[in-house]
Amino acid sequence: MQKLIYIFWYIRKMRYVKIANEQIHDFLNQLKQYGKLYAPVKVSDKFYDRKEIDDVCDIAFDYVRTLLPAKKYFIHPKEKMFDIDIENGTYDEPEEKIEPFVLFGVHACEIVGLRILDGVYLRDYVDTYYKRRREAGIIIGLSCLPDDHCFCNLRRSDFVDIGFDLFLHELPDGYLVRVGSPTGHKIVDECAELFSNVTQEDIAAFREFEEKRQQMFSHHGSFDNMRYLLELTARDELWDEESEKCLGCGNCTNTCPTCRCYDVQDIPDIDGKTAERIRFWDSCQFRSHGLVAGGHNFRETKKDRFFNRYVCKNSYFYGLGTSYCVGCGNCTYFCPAGIDYLGNLLRVRSASEPEEVVHEHN
Amino acid sequence: MSDTMKPKVGIHGLTSCYGCQLRMASVQEILRVAQRFDIEYWSMLSSDGTIRHVDIAFVEGSVTTMADEEELKAIRENADVLVAVGSCAIHGGVQGMIFGEEYRKVFGEIYGNCTMDFEAKIAEPIHKFVKVDHNLPGCPPEEDEIMYYLATFAMGSYPEEKDYPVCAECRRNGYPCVLIERGEPCLGPLVVAGCGARCPGHNIACFGCRGPVPHGVAWFDSLARTFREKGMEKEEIKARMEIFGRQYEKMNEMIEKVFEHED
Ligand code: SF4
Ligand code: SF4
Repeated sequence: MQKLIYIFWYIRKMRYVKIANEQIHDFLNQLKQYGKLYAPVKVSDKFYDRKEIDDVCDIAFDYVRTLLPAKKYFIHPKEKMFDIDIENGTYDEPEEKIEPFVLFGVHACEIVGLRILDGVYLRDYVDTYYKRRREAGIIIGLSCLPDDHCFCNLRRSDFVDIGFDLFLHELPDGYLVRVGSPTGHKIVDECAELFSNVTQEDIAAFREFEEKRQQMFSHHGSFDNMRYLLELTARDELWDEESEKCLGCGNCTNTCPTCRCYDVQDIPDIDGKTAERIRFWDSCQFRSHGLVAGGHNFRETKKDRFFNRYVCKNSYFYGLGTSYCVGCGNCTYFCPAGIDYLGNLLRVRSASEPEEVVHEHN
Repeated sequence: MSDTMKPKVGIHGLTSCYGCQLRMASVQEILRVAQRFDIEYWSMLSSDGTIRHVDIAFVEGSVTTMADEEELKAIRENADVLVAVGSCAIHGGVQGMIFGEEYRKVFGEIYGNCTMDFEAKIAEPIHKFVKVDHNLPGCPPEEDEIMYYLATFAMGSYPEEKDYPVCAECRRNGYPCVLIERGEPCLGPLVVAGCGARCPGHNIACFGCRGPVPHGVAWFDSLARTFREKGMEKEEIKARMEIFGRQYEKMNEMIEKVFEHED
């Protein structure tokens, strides 16, 4: 029965509405009734990040990327998992009740990123921490225009048809809204006075935006064979040269929408009777990530660790048939050493020198 | 472990500011710590100088005099486990910046011809003289790490030392990166985490007080290259990295390599 409902849901026509620019702040304020509202705001000279929104006028609609990806709401950077009673050998995992919350302004690549995390965290072994938060999170997508580091088009993650409750596409005078879930319907129904029907001009503007966007990507074609090319070029000097520059700082993985490795540690209390188990974001760029009992390290050198990320991100996620890399460009933008991930992949694809990429963080 | 079997602890200070000991003495749960251990010796709190056998000895400070060296060796001989506490003990500290010929010169400038009843040496980390079992980094160490280390020892276990840089905590805390954004010479990429990226969190570039990441993953060369690309000169880069990293074995060589390579 459940399955049938889903099938009907997918094959039915999507619902489209329009919201005018004049209504958008009202809409954002109304969203707060569904839960705490988080959206991108400018946090420093050049950077944006998602924060809890008090005044909806603070929301940045034209941001390209945030300091931390949306994953931070579902896998917290650092969290306590449970308390341990050492004396009795038991542990107490609290049934944490998660209040609903709304993420506004999530770009397509990040929505694909969350779906990849779903595949990892919800499929074979369910991570209840992730699951509870994912069920509580309402996702409002937002269209975007790429910068030089973006290549979601090469990853087939530039347009999403699932994974959001509402998706807003920029129009000259408002947004064309795709409704993607029962929650999305509910929101549109309950805020009906803010929406209107989509007109022929809106459709033309939507088409135009999509075309303009496609032309703005700096590279075209596909990266579908990237995994194999990487494996075949594993011995190229490129990897010595590039890993030599790497600082091993882990910024690339921490800012990646789909990097999901975490480390677990038990922190005993001074009385020795209780402890708490915590987990926090780990990175394959760190030495201890590949360290196992007996002192053996699966990725002994910096080069091993550096190359590992390229191979891991470019392998295929069986659930979606796309690579784990969604082409967001965060790892290039947030690399303090200025290592150009996209540039390196292009070198692997074409075996020729990349065009000079100027590292401007704007 | 029953109360009658409390681990015996000694806390010692060699040449240093005694800030690490002060930090240890001022942890909020000091009374619970005192209940868990028999504190045999604490140089900051007691003038009793006899060194007795302990299960765990914590040593703050660098070796700067012959007396330091002798005391350290006696501490080691009388301790089952020895923990180096803070940047001076682990890396030689700020006083470890002055080396070799330069040291003689600076020494001459400061002390002139006066005679002293001890021999002053170049400040060095304690691992150069004795075997160190664990490092508790910081300048001074953070309260949560002090408590974590103590709690693991109290259980008869040992702590897991961090081997990743400040950048990891800077990202986890969502701070904007001052190196990327403003090109400031942040040492976060090569300094061991634990402080929660306190300085970058206040918009100040990390200057490395906790010392380099252990286990040979402090990449002075790559960071020197990055700084160079931001327009810094070799001497400037060295001066910044030397404050807390001068005694890191390969620091100089690593920085030189970058400039040799690209000159
Ligand atoms: S962000 Fe750059 S320097 Fe840091 S680990 Fe990743 S590739 Fe290396
Ligand atoms: S501000 Fe410093 S510590 Fe933070 S990410 Fe940048 S380089 Fe690393």
